Amino acid sequence: METLLIALVFSPLLPGIIARTKAVFAGRRGAPLLQFYYDIHKSLRKGRVTSDTVTWIFSAAPSVLMLAAVFSSFLAPFGRLKAPVQFTGDMIFLVYLYGLARFFMLLAAWDTGSSFEGMGAGREAFFSCLAEITLFADFLILAKLSKSLSLSEMIQQSSALSWRQAGPALMMVVVSYFAVLLAENSRIPVDDPATHLELTMIHEVMALDHSGPDLGWIVYAGAMKLFVLGALLVSILIPFGTGSLFFDRALFLAGMAALGVAIGVVESVMARFRLDRVPSFLVGSFVFAVFGLIITFARGV
Amino acid sequence: MGVWPDTLLICVMFLDVLLLVSSRLGVLIRFFAAQSLVLSAVPVFLYPHMNVHTAVVSGGALLLKGILIPRLLFWAIRNASIRREARGLMGPAGIFLSSGVLMGLSFLLSSLLPLPVNALPEFLVPAAFFTLMSGLFLLINGTKAITQVVAYLVLENGIFLFAVVLLAEMPLIVEMGIFLDVFVAVFIMGIVINHIHGAFDHMDVSRLTLLKD
Repeated sequence: METLLIALVFSPLLPGIIARTKAVFAGRRGAPLLQFYYDIHKSLRKGRVTSDTVTWIFSAAPSVLMLAAVFSSFLAPFGRLKAPVQFTGDMIFLVYLYGLARFFMLLAAWDTGSSFEGMGAGREAFFSCLAEITLFADFLILAKLSKSLSLSEMIQQSSALSWRQAGPALMMVVVSYFAVLLAENSRIPVDDPATHLELTMIHEVMALDHSGPDLGWIVYAGAMKLFVLGALLVSILIPFGTGSLFFDRALFLAGMAALGVAIGVVESVMARFRLDRVPSFLVGSFVFAVFGLIITFARGV
Repeated sequence: MGVWPDTLLICVMFLDVLLLVSSRLGVLIRFFAAQSLVLSAVPVFLYPHMNVHTAVVSGGALLLKGILIPRLLFWAIRNASIRREARGLMGPAGIFLSSGVLMGLSFLLSSLLPLPVNALPEFLVPAAFFTLMSGLFLLINGTKAITQVVAYLVLENGIFLFAVVLLAEMPLIVEMGIFLDVFVAVFIMGIVINHIHGAFDHMDVSRLTLLKD
């Protein structure tokens, strides 16, 4: 339960931190850190407007997204905090939970019949399919290092034991996983979350027809997805526990804030890739994961 | 032996991949310089009791390939004003995939290769193979003269790594490597001179300030 609470409460803070970092880089004061809470609150209070042509899938998509986000927060370890639900192969469940949410989002986008949204949906499908290979290659490395197939075990054991023994392989995991994190959450080198009327946008375009509470849930689910997937990365990067539960949590939240700053820095110093270069970016991240895999197997730990 | 030599060698391989995909001349040269700096630290970690031999090899690589040659290359692209993108024949996705294949191949090769020396870091020979192969790949893939020079230098970095394997026993190869470096320096000079020569008919750059219209 606690992981769910942490994810629910803190997840909208993460995009706030990213936005604030970008503002500081640009020399602005920027929106308050809690802006996303206000946005979500505002959206949830409003009424919804739907097109006459859409079917139930359009209305179901935000709920599926939110449910997937809630379930996924049960599966991921948050720093030293173990996931409440663990079983063999739960990382596959986590990935396809997001796959299900994405499937519904794509259907909802196509459901509107807008060619613009259909285009964004097609791109989302293409890029996520490339990102998935990298993700599984990373999971393979972690599974090999920790000799376990459950997400919490995999990440906590391999990061605790292996930064000393298999630091290089874990470094490759971190690099390629970070690229996947940016791609999965439609952050800058792949997609620009700040644009609303550009032809290269991917994620934003699919939610164009959603309004009011629907939009609010989509934004909330997006923030939670960023939080949960980011939590995996932070858990890999924090290799030790402090011993006390309180400090472990504080360390984890500090790590998440640092991740937000890191994403903000990346978004400030990089431009979005031209659309036809995104696949090579993702293929590159896959090659780094394969690199890590080769290192892991060559060393035989 | 510790974890440091292996970490350095993996940095070298990482930089190989970056070298292969970088599409700008300046970035290419910077990556090469970074790779040479990392390389020059390898003998120091590998042979902890410093003797003159390791010091000379490390220091020579550091000075020559980490600092001097990159400067020379930067000077060359500035002087010959070739700052354009060095686009290769193959696209980035293809390069990434083939670098993955090459990496696997180099690990395979090194596992098949019996060496006269034992107690080496695990990644030394694979890193040497992979650096050699990426140098070759750059050489084939590159279209600009400067890219070819950097490719040649990367190839030389691979040879340097192989030489490190036998550093204690066979100093001749190391010296040959350094000779190769010097040769490359001459090579670069040749290109630059050629460029300036083609444009101005003489080699005196200081006379450029006298140009008026």
